[in-house]
Parts: sequence; C-alpha cells; structure tokens
Amino acid sequence: MTTIDSQTQGLEHEHHDHHHDEGSYLTPRGGFWATIWDWMTTVDHKKIGVMYLFAILFMFFLGGVAALMVRLELLDPVRQTAEGVVTGQMFNWYGDNVAANNNLYNRFFTLHGAIMTFMVIVPSVPASLGNFLLPIMLGAKDVAFPKLNLFSWYIYFFGSIFAVASIIGGGVDTGWTFYTPYSTTTDADHWRVVIMVLGVFVLGFSSILTGLNFIVTVHKLRAPGMGWFDMPLLVWTLYASAIIQVLATPVIGVTTLLLILERTMGIGVFDPALGGDPVLYQHFFWFYSHPVVYIMILPGMGLISDIISVHARKKIFGYKSMAFASLGITAVSFIVWGHHMFTSEGELAATVFSALTFLVAIPTAIKVFNWTATLWKGSIAVNTPMCYALSFLFLFTIGGLTGMPLGALATDLHLHDSYFVVAHFHYVMMGGTIIAFIGAIHHWWPKMFGKMYSEFWGITGCVLVFIGFNVTFFTQFLMGTRGMPRRYATYVDEYEIWHEISTYGSWILAIGLFIHAGNFFWSLVFGRQAPPNPWGGLSMEWETESPPVLHNFHHDPVATHGPYDFDDVQPPHTDPEEFPLPEPLPGGAKPH
Amino acid sequence: MATIDPASNERPALAKREPLWKTYKHGHHWPDAEAEFDAAKIGMWLFLSTEILLFAGMFCAYAIFRMKYPEAFVNGSHYLDWRFGAINTAVLLGSSFTAAYCVRNAQLNNQLWLKINLAITFLAGAAFLAIKFIFEYGPKWADGKRPGELFSYPFAENAHEPIWWGVYYGATGLHASHVIIGMGLFVWVFINASRGKYGPKHYTLVENVALYWHLVDLIWIFLFPLLYLIH
Amino acid sequence: MIAPLFIDGLLRDWFFGDRAYSDTSAYSDDLYMFIFWVCAFVFIGLNAFYVLCLVKFRRKPGVPQQRSSSHSTTLEITWTVLPTILLVVFFFRGFWGYLDKVVVEAQAEQLDLEAYKWGWEMTYPNGAVSLVSDRIDPGQLNEYPIFVVPEDWPVQLRMTSRDVIHSFWIPDLRQKFDVFPNRYTSYQFRMDPLEEEDRARANDAFPSGYRDHTLFCAEYCGDSHSEMAAIIRVASREDYANWVVTGGVELDKLTPVEAGAILYTVKGCAQCHSVDGSDNTGPTWRNAFGYERQFSNAPAGIVDDNYIRESILVPGAKVAEGYPNQMPSYQGKVNDFELNALIAYIRSLSDRAPTSLIDEVQGEPESTEEEPQASLNRPDTDDNT
Repeated sequence: MTTIDSQTQGLEHEHHDHHHDEGSYLTPRGGFWATIWDWMTTVDHKKIGVMYLFAILFMFFLGGVAALMVRLELLDPVRQTAEGVVTGQMFNWYGDNVAANNNLYNRFFTLHGAIMTFMVIVPSVPASLGNFLLPIMLGAKDVAFPKLNLFSWYIYFFGSIFAVASIIGGGVDTGWTFYTPYSTTTDADHWRVVIMVLGVFVLGFSSILTGLNFIVTVHKLRAPGMGWFDMPLLVWTLYASAIIQVLATPVIGVTTLLLILERTMGIGVFDPALGGDPVLYQHFFWFYSHPVVYIMILPGMGLISDIISVHARKKIFGYKSMAFASLGITAVSFIVWGHHMFTSEGELAATVFSALTFLVAIPTAIKVFNWTATLWKGSIAVNTPMCYALSFLFLFTIGGLTGMPLGALATDLHLHDSYFVVAHFHYVMMGGTIIAFIGAIHHWWPKMFGKMYSEFWGITGCVLVFIGFNVTFFTQFLMGTRGMPRRYATYVDEYEIWHEISTYGSWILAIGLFIHAGNFFWSLVFGRQAPPNPWGGLSMEWETESPPVLHNFHHDPVATHGPYDFDDVQPPHTDPEEFPLPEPLPGGAKPH
Repeated sequence: MATIDPASNERPALAKREPLWKTYKHGHHWPDAEAEFDAAKIGMWLFLSTEILLFAGMFCAYAIFRMKYPEAFVNGSHYLDWRFGAINTAVLLGSSFTAAYCVRNAQLNNQLWLKINLAITFLAGAAFLAIKFIFEYGPKWADGKRPGELFSYPFAENAHEPIWWGVYYGATGLHASHVIIGMGLFVWVFINASRGKYGPKHYTLVENVALYWHLVDLIWIFLFPLLYLIH
Repeated sequence: MIAPLFIDGLLRDWFFGDRAYSDTSAYSDDLYMFIFWVCAFVFIGLNAFYVLCLVKFRRKPGVPQQRSSSHSTTLEITWTVLPTILLVVFFFRGFWGYLDKVVVEAQAEQLDLEAYKWGWEMTYPNGAVSLVSDRIDPGQLNEYPIFVVPEDWPVQLRMTSRDVIHSFWIPDLRQKFDVFPNRYTSYQFRMDPLEEEDRARANDAFPSGYRDHTLFCAEYCGDSHSEMAAIIRVASREDYANWVVTGGVELDKLTPVEAGAILYTVKGCAQCHSVDGSDNTGPTWRNAFGYERQFSNAPAGIVDDNYIRESILVPGAKVAEGYPNQMPSYQGKVNDFELNALIAYIRSLSDRAPTSLIDEVQGEPESTEEEPQASLNRPDTDDNT
C-alpha cells in the first residue's frame, strides 16, 4: 500500500512528529527491569497482542496436556470386570478405585473444555493477532482505547488465574458447560466450582472490552481513503465477531452470576427442588455459548481469506459477499442457540430452532465457495501458511457439512451428545479456528518478530498436525454414529479399536504442534532477518517495517488501493522479479 | 517596578496557570480531540448495550418464572411496599436530572455547580441504597423472606415464593451493585473536577458517567413496576 | 443401480455398526445417508478443485498470476440458491422424521422410568419394578438392569430423574431424550419384531426368544456416568406380559439378607459402597456394623441399626470422617421393608453381627461367607417359569 506523506496532516499535528526515526516496538527501553515494567504498563496494542499471544499459547499447552490425558485414559480405560478385576494401567492413579479414577477423568475433560473455550479459542484470534493487526491494517497508530486494552489484558490475566487456582485446588468435574443441577451440587463442600465460574465471569469482561475497542476502532480510526469496502476481510470478521462479543457476553455474565448465587446462597432459580428451571440455565448458557462459537470461527475465516488471497496472489473472490456473509453469520448466530437443546425442549421450539440453524449454513457455504474460487488462475505458493489454509478448507468443510445431520431433527436425536458432536465441533473449532490461528501465526510471524522460521519444519509440522488431527477426530464420527456417548470415562469393547486409533492420532497431533513450537523458538534465536514484505501482501501491515516501529508507521498512511488488488499494484517493498504483475490491460482500463 | 494590570483582577502569577481542561491533550493516535470524544461516546453506548443485555437475563428470568408461577409472583409483589419503591424512583429520577446538569455545568465551565451537582448525585445514590437496605432488604431478610434455600418465612402462602425472592434479590441486588459502582464513578469524577479537569473543551468522563447513571435509572424504571406495581 | 446401493449398504454398516430397529429410526438412517451422499458429493468436488488448482496454478518463479474475474453475480447467486434448496429439503425431512419419533401412538404401553446417579429403574403398569437379573456380558463393566418391552407394539416411557439431568439413549433406536428432576419427559418407540436369530435364543423365561439393546445415559452426570447403562430386552407380547407379571422379583418372598443384597445394586448403593472392604466414594459395608466410626460433624459412635437408618434417610446428619458429604437422601425412595432388608444385608457383612439361632441349628453357611455376587445371580429366568 503506497504511503503518501500526508503533508497537511503532518502540519496540523506537529506533535506527531516525534514518531519519526524511532526503533522497532520490540527494542528494549532501558535495562532488564525497566523493560519488564515497560511491557507490564504498555498501552501499545502490539505489545499487548504479543503478551496475549504467549499467554494464549501457554493456556493452549495446558489445555492440550489435559486433552492428552483424556485420550490416555480412553486408550486403556480403568474399569472393573464382573470378576472384580480392575483393568487399565495408563491412568490408574487411584489404584482399584474405578469411581475415583472416573472422577479424575471428569476433571481432566472439564479442564480441557473450560481452558480451551474460555481461555484459548475465544480470545485466540481477536485478542492476540487481532490486537496486533487490526490497527495496523486500518492504518491507525493504536486501538481506540489503548488503556482499556491494557485493562482487558489484565482482566484476562486475573480471570485465568482464577481458573488456574481452581485447577490447583483440585479442579472441577462439571463439564465446561456447568449444567445445573449437577454443577450446583457437585463438590458441595468446596469453593472450586465457584472460583472457576467466577473466572469465566471475569474473562467475559475482557472479551467485551476487546470487542468494544475493536468496533470503535473500525468506525473511527480507518486511515484517510479507506472506505468500509477497502478493509481487509480479517478486519471485517473481527468487526463482526466484536459485535457478538459485545452483545452476547453480558448474558454469560448474568448466567454465571446467577450460578454463583445459586451455589453460594441457593437462590433457587436453577434448582428444580425449589421450582427453579435447569432448562432455563441451558437457554441462558447457550444464548451466549452458541454465538461464541462464531466469535471463535469468524476471525479464523478472516485469517484464511487474507492468507489465501496473499499466497495465491489473487483478489479475493466475491469480496462484498464475504463481508456481508460475516455480518449475516453474526445476525443468525443469535437465533440458533436452541439447537443445543433438541433433546430437552418442546417440539415447537425444536422445529423453529432447526429451521433457523440451517440458515447459518448459507453464508458459511458462500464463504467456502468464495475461497475455492479465489484459487482459480492464481499463483499458488506452497508454504506453511498456505498449507494451513488448505488444511482449513479441508477440515472446516468436514466440520460444516457434519453440522447438517446435527441440524436435521430426526438425525440429531441420535447424534446429540454423542462422539459425533465431539468430532463435529473439534473439526470446526480446532480444524477451523486453531488451524487458521496456527497458519496465521506463521503468516504474520515475520511481521510480528522480524524473523523468518524454517519453511521445511513448518510444512512438516503442518502435515503431522493435519494427519494427526484427522486420525484423532475422524474416528470419533464413527464412534458417534455407532452410539458412543460423550464424556464417558470407559466404554464397551465395541469402541475399543476406534478409541485406540484416536489416541494414537492425538500423539501425532502433539508431535506436530511441538515441532511448530520448536521452529518458532529456533526462529527467534537463529532466524534470518525478515524483510518488510516477505509474502508480497498488499494490506497496510506489509507497508511498515518488520517488526513495526513503535507507532506502526513513519508517516500517517493513506489508503490508495484495496487490500487485494494483486493484478494492478506492485506490493510495497517487493522485487518485481519475485512478485511480477500480469500484463496491464490495454489502454490502462480497470478490469473490475 | 511591578505594576498590576488594572484590567485584570487576578495576580499575574496565577493568570498564567491554565486550568487542566484547557491544556488537555488528546491521545496521540487521534487526529483531534473531537474524534476522541466521539469515539469515547460510541464506546460508552456500546458498553450500555452490554449492560442492558446483562439485565435482560434478569428480566427474562422474571418473565419465565412469572409465567410459571403467577400466584407466587402476585403474592410476592404484595409483600413489597410500593411507597418505598416510589420514593426510590423519585430519588433516582432526580439524581438523573442532576447528573445531566453536571454535563451542562461542565460545558458552561460552571465549576462550582459542577461539583455541587456531582455531590448531589452521589448523595442521591447513597439515599437510594439507604432506603433499599434499611427499609426493604433489612426487615424482609429478618422476616425470613429470603431467596431460595435461605427462605424461612413461616407464613408463606405459596410454595414457590422462594423463587420470587430469588428473582427479587437477584434483580434488585444486581441493580444496587450498579448504583454502588456509579457512586464510585461520581467520586472519581468529583476528585477530577476539583482539580479542574473538566470544562467546555473536555468533559468526556462527566458525559459518560452521566450516561451510565441514566442507564441505572432506566433499569430501575423497569424494575419498579415489574416488581412493585403489577399484581 | 446395484453398485451404489451396495456401497451405500457397506457404508451404513460401517457408520452405524448395527441396523436400525424401528421404522422411525430406519427413516432417520435413510436421511443420514441422504445427507451423507449430498455432502460427500460437495466435499469431493471441492477437494478435486483444490487439487486441480494446486497442479495447474502452482507458483513458478517470475510468472505472474493470470487475470481473472473476482466477482460473478450469476455464480454467486447459484451457489447461494442451490445450497438453500438442499437445506430446505434437509430441514423438512428431518422435521418429519422427528415428528414420527416424538409423537406417541394411541394405545401405547405406558412405562415409568426413573433415572438416578447412577442407574435406571423401570416401573411397569402393574407396579412391578425392574430389578437386576442378568448381565449384559460377563466381563463387562457393572451390573446392568434389564427392562423388558414388547415387540412391534408402541411403548411410551414417562421419564423423570431423582437428582441431576440424565439422558435416555438407545443407539439402536437412533433416539434419545433428556430426563429432568421434578418434571416428566417422554420417549416413545415401536420395536421391530423378533427375527429368526432372536427366536433361537428362546429360554424358559422367554419361550419366543428375545433381543437385547443397550441403552446409555447421554447427559454427563458425574463419576459413574459411563457405567450408567441398561439393557432393553425385546420379547414377544405374550412373553412381555408374562414376564412383567411373574418375572419382576418379589422381594418379600426372599430372606431379608437376599433382598438387601439385590437392593444394594438396584438402589445404586453399589456405586459408592463396596462390600469387600475396598475403599470408594463412601465407606465400605464390610465389617461396618458393630464397629466404632469417626464422624466429621458429630462425636464418634457405634454403627448400629438406627445409625444406618438415619444415614440412608438423612445422609448428612453424621458424615463418616474422610468421606465427602455427597450421598443423596433416600427419604421416600425406600420403604420400611426395603430399609430392613438393607440393614439386614449390612449386618450380614459384619463379623460382629449376631447370628440367628435358626442358622446355627440348621447349620447353614453364614451369610458373611457368601459372595455378594452370588446372591445377585438369582436365576430369575429359571425360577419364575
């Protein structure tokens, strides 16, 4: 994106001039402790984004360990035969006490679900990459409310501490959904559940404030010349998911608040013994937690749009339909929560929610077809981000299509709460959001840290993750249709072979992820210095240096072209030999 | 020889010290203070929408349980004295007026009345809580009219009264916590105002805190008839 | 036409493992396969396209991309409208199949099902209560209760829960529904008739043969959620009626100790209390009676009849030290006869319990020596016919 030294603006705002000739945002300011203090008190969106990134990756590690423990138990479950013999050697922490082992297993899957949902996937893209990229992509110096941004980082930090405290205190066995009356009665004499729910309540504020910040930033801080339809699609999807963050998260706030009151004082609204209604809890919970899956997936879709477009060097197909599909998904996301209760609500509600649920498939299908069409006649580079983008297309399509039999009522009565659901949402959440997230970290890693990683190990990791993921979760579709309920610590022999394959897959997956971690650390220490625009991108972040300077740009940038005009604009800081443009159209005509 | 300018009533040393609101510098990432003010207001309105959704949960619980147990809710509202509710409504409505007047005072650079109105609004919040706790929560709690499992009122006429009290304490308690937060905000604004931070060129926080207070008022306007008046 | 049908059949076996056992579930399997084929077509088409693009348009150094349109109204409308039509078809077929599954046929046999942590209890229309009488398969998990239902006859379950939410799922019927405390939900089905191989299983209790289906709890409910299974046994209508009238165990025809041993499993005590001295969520029953016990909320005392009675009805009154106060109250869920039987059974497990003069005179083996499992293996299928 061509930067024009905006003379008029520069004159009007002379106090901006001190930004010139400053170093990278990563340059230490002063000694060790001064630098630590600088990071702790920074209001720079880039530093906050980087802190989020590492916190989220750490939480991803914790949640991943819990997932491996869950798979370990299911490889060789602890169970008692009729002869009274207890089998299962992998997970046998409590000797022959099957119930105690089951209880431990329940704590592990709750830990996995709660961490991955509330502390990893919900904040993953918006809080880390979103924080880093959104202002730069808009040509802004920061988000609208930088102090609020720092505040929401600390809320995330302390909310996570609540959750971790609850885990250290012994963990909770409620499942991440905290369904009443189980969650109000289990561990009755302990504070762990309250602390965990309080953590979720606190984390909600972090999400709300980040979303609020993004909405205002997009409205007020676009660079001169940047219209709504000149924004990169990542910004569109972050905007769409920020709307959900702002409008849905308060409902989980009041839900968790009522749950805490229910547990501490027994106010009765969810307690069937007093006439309260546990299904009301489910409605409240899913009124947030269904839209939240679109908070998770929408930014993933935006990342993929940008990655595919840059690495195929093609203008994204159907830009406007992509933008409106994002808003369409946002709108529909609020009216489909009832499909989580097809087996508990009445016929009328189930029918209405089933019909509405299918609506979500339409904008999603539009997006998949648009990505597909973008590849046509492109110049497709095969590198780590693109491998991840193609993995995303493969996995997310499976995730989306397996939503069909779950949305259809007759088949859902069978598949509800089975391993089919587990596989479905892992294909969407992990195969969608996390795969896009890892691909995007690779794509923007040179920009964020100014270092190149090893392409060989990146692709190797991607292949292992792809294979491991499919081995782990495709088997779970089969278990689900065959009748394996979810959240089971043990199972009947029929499912043994599938569980074994699934566990082996989880190990391949883990190896792939560790390779990525190693690759990133290697690049930070030994990596080659990254050029400002290694991929030939056109959105504004490729305009500035790698890593960006403290206030993002040396001059106030002005948007002079769209983020995807690969056919007509030479990307900034690139060699025309390496990134050649197609022949100009005769007479300089604009093609589109 | 130092002479004092007869046109000025102030000493020269003081005349040089500009009030803080005049020297306010907007954030470096904003083109001008006006854009920053607009953004802060949009942000505040978004935040207010989250507050409405937070309370929507309580209203939803109210509607559902009222539908399920209408007798318990009719009965329950008879336990409430509408006069206390009405007084509190008046207190809050009046304080909403003074809150709005704070903004006006800041815009007109009327520093004294800005501080007076801030103080009145704060005191009105305190009065609201005092009436709530001393005349409503206190006696009811003592009678055993408590939520859910804590319910121990011996003369209950309906098996589902504990749920009514659960909704009552839940909704009004959440509202009261907002009143407390609002009072805290007014203390903060008052301290800033005493340091001369607000004036015609800069009164973002006054405006936003007043908006917040209006929302707290608005929610009470809905809670009052739902809980006290509808039989 | 034969080849696709063959593949369809193979895939069905692979997906579901076993066929659907009612008309409504066969319908939903057909729907599942219909959705599967449509999705498979879309998915394979998309991926073939990715491969084509990767082969044809792989980046070559110094070669730019080709110019092509980035927008096509016709194309975009096509791929919006076509999926929408398919989705409408999916929805209506799903809706019709759902109605077939949830609408109750007239004249359905009404059975009461109660779920609790962690087990199921069925009450038949004549008041008979299902009891543990067989195992699904020796070597597997815990004892599973067996519920008998008639073949090819509409059955409606009225379901409720004693504690938390459970969900009743018979995978072979492709249908589940949640079970809530303090309200009823309904589950209805009509099982396919018995087949030749089922008739070959004929025994004294089921002269016309029977067929077993597993049922699971599908809503997470705690420690033994994964052991909360049961068997639905499909029998001919006559066998069903006869079994319900004579086959339900009549506790009052047993000795109190025998009845207590059965109640130990049926009432769910076995989930938390062992009878062989091993530790579990609750204290063991082996050598409990007559011994002194420490309590976390009361002075120590001797385990006697009144303490056991109180612990069953008001578990929180005295909580054994070192154990969580987790047991639900059985007030109203056990009658006096059952209480006495349970107390007799607990006494029989202790070496400090008094022995009966009858046993001594008749020289019968002491009940403490008896394996608890043995008393469960009461061969009802043989006795009652």
